[in-house]
Amino acid sequence: MEAELTLSRWNGKPGGIGYRRWVILSAGLRDLLGTRFFRVILILAWVAGIVTAAVGFLFTQTVSDGGWLESAAAHLGPRIHAIATALDAFVLLYPDVCIRGLFTLLFWLHSFVGVGLSMIALTVMVPRLVTRDRAGRALTVYLSRPLTATDYLLGKLGTIAGVLALLWTGPLLFGWLLSVLFAPDRSFFLYSLVPLLRALSFNAIGLVALATIALGVSAVSRSSRTTVILWLGLWVVAGGIAKPPGTPDWIRRASFSQDLSQVREAVFKVDEALKEAGTELPFLDRSVAMDFVQVGKKAEATDLPGALAGLGAFVALASIVFFRGLRSE
Amino acid sequence: MNEPITESPPTAPQGRPADGCVIETVGLCKSFGGQKALDDVNVRVPRGTIGLLGPNGAGKTTFIKCLLSLELPSSGVARLLGRDIRAGSRASREKVGYSPEQDCHIPGMAGCEYVTYCGQLSGMPFRSARQRAHEILDLVGMGQERYRRVETYSTGMKQRVKLAQALVHDPELVFLDEPTNGLDPAGREHVLRLIGSLWRDFGISVVMSSHLLRDIERVCDRVIIIGKGRVLEHDRVEALKNRHRRMIEISPAAETDRYSAVLEAQGLEVTRLPNGRLRVESGSDSIEWVLKLMQANGLPPAEIVSNPDALNELFIKAISDANGG
Repeated sequence: MEAELTLSRWNGKPGGIGYRRWVILSAGLRDLLGTRFFRVILILAWVAGIVTAAVGFLFTQTVSDGGWLESAAAHLGPRIHAIATALDAFVLLYPDVCIRGLFTLLFWLHSFVGVGLSMIALTVMVPRLVTRDRAGRALTVYLSRPLTATDYLLGKLGTIAGVLALLWTGPLLFGWLLSVLFAPDRSFFLYSLVPLLRALSFNAIGLVALATIALGVSAVSRSSRTTVILWLGLWVVAGGIAKPPGTPDWIRRASFSQDLSQVREAVFKVDEALKEAGTELPFLDRSVAMDFVQVGKKAEATDLPGALAGLGAFVALASIVFFRGLRSE
Repeated sequence: MNEPITESPPTAPQGRPADGCVIETVGLCKSFGGQKALDDVNVRVPRGTIGLLGPNGAGKTTFIKCLLSLELPSSGVARLLGRDIRAGSRASREKVGYSPEQDCHIPGMAGCEYVTYCGQLSGMPFRSARQRAHEILDLVGMGQERYRRVETYSTGMKQRVKLAQALVHDPELVFLDEPTNGLDPAGREHVLRLIGSLWRDFGISVVMSSHLLRDIERVCDRVIIIGKGRVLEHDRVEALKNRHRRMIEISPAAETDRYSAVLEAQGLEVTRLPNGRLRVESGSDSIEWVLKLMQANGLPPAEIVSNPDALNELFIKAISDANGG
């Protein structure tokens, strides 16, 4: 075993801190994309995006002047054609209620898929974030290099953000873009912007909350089993306990999934969209309008400040746990 | 012990600055609760291969960790390669490598992938990092095992891959904490030869922490002895040896008794060691006088070792002094 002392020298300019954070981020994503389970989740997420796009596309193509619905109704007799024309007219007359309402509902439904798949993906990710590095004492490797704990945190947060972008934000934007890209009317684009911004706002809140909580849970222990059980406990068990109606507020706030649900209702304002439809659309009779209002009430956020306080507490606690766990060992 | 030491290193490295200090500390202290792990450490360490000696719990690892900002010093100033470790936290570690004593790896990564990743974490582009990773893994004696996951490695292989990750980004200074732990004799020989060549052939200064005096004596040109968090001795190995009383050990091929008689006839006090060697105190570093004596008396050939275990005795004395007795 003679040492072969031939070695190229490296005199290049080292990449900046942004590059090093990107290295941590991309390594985490590559690692996750290497697992079959995550690839399946990714496929499901994009199927949801395609479904969103398909529904939006059908809506824009169908309910418009000279659209598919009107053309098809023409073959079904003058009465059907008249109803279809009336429907198209509604969209023209009440674009704010119809287009905004439909996209609000669509993105609201998509957010359930986005959050659900993100939670499942995070269950796989949690042991791979900090737990594994702690188990292998890899923090020494990171922190003895030109990196700080904040760089490590940002790299890992970036990995989670990347995952959530792949599972949630990407399919959402894809769905919206395909919906409005071929729309025959500019109003579809304009009136779908507000629901889109609301969906992206909820996406951003969810990303910050979920990423921080996941990192905190991941830093709790060196054992993958412990961190996965803790994550599932916080998500499924605490969520299940907090869900039944009549549960005290403090228990509901102690579940981050329930807190996120409250934030979702407050951000999307599905209740307002339904109430608006019930009161403003003239073709609805009184009982249908009342049904809309009733359903809207069920989707109303009842404790937004409490939910935000709960999420804030989770984020603060997770940050403390993360930085306490982030010591070279 | 704490005097400034700035003389030139013993060998001229290629392509690297040969002057200046790699480590400079002034009043460096680190306490854990009420216990002082480092107590007023003042050193100026020039480039070269430096051994860090001390018993368990002396503060060697704490000293290294403080320099790398893995532990926050309680007080004092420290500079690595001329950069203040507090002011330029990241910058001070850009050209520094570290191989810790305990295992450290990222589970799930193959050896070459891990070393490449470490290179990238130090700012190397992927292609350069990958190329260097393979070269370094060759250098540390890793074969096809590099394609296996690190967590499946034996202790010796983990030691090699740790060394590789510390060197992948071509640092100017590398800290090696007990780098020969867990290595078989052949592996140990290989790694020591490699460490010895880092400064000589590549201009990479080495700070090697070890409790194995022979390893330090073999590869280092300078030694820092730490005890109870204080620097007890800091000088070149030869200077430290010379400070100790000069001894010579002679291992005759035959006629040991006649050797002993000839030496005693010269008025020397001869000690017979259990391994058959003869130990005498010498007036100088040179062994010339022994050779002349052998020639004059027609003595058979012998192995002659000057100042054996001098470092060991000095180390024990320094620790004993530090402990007050």
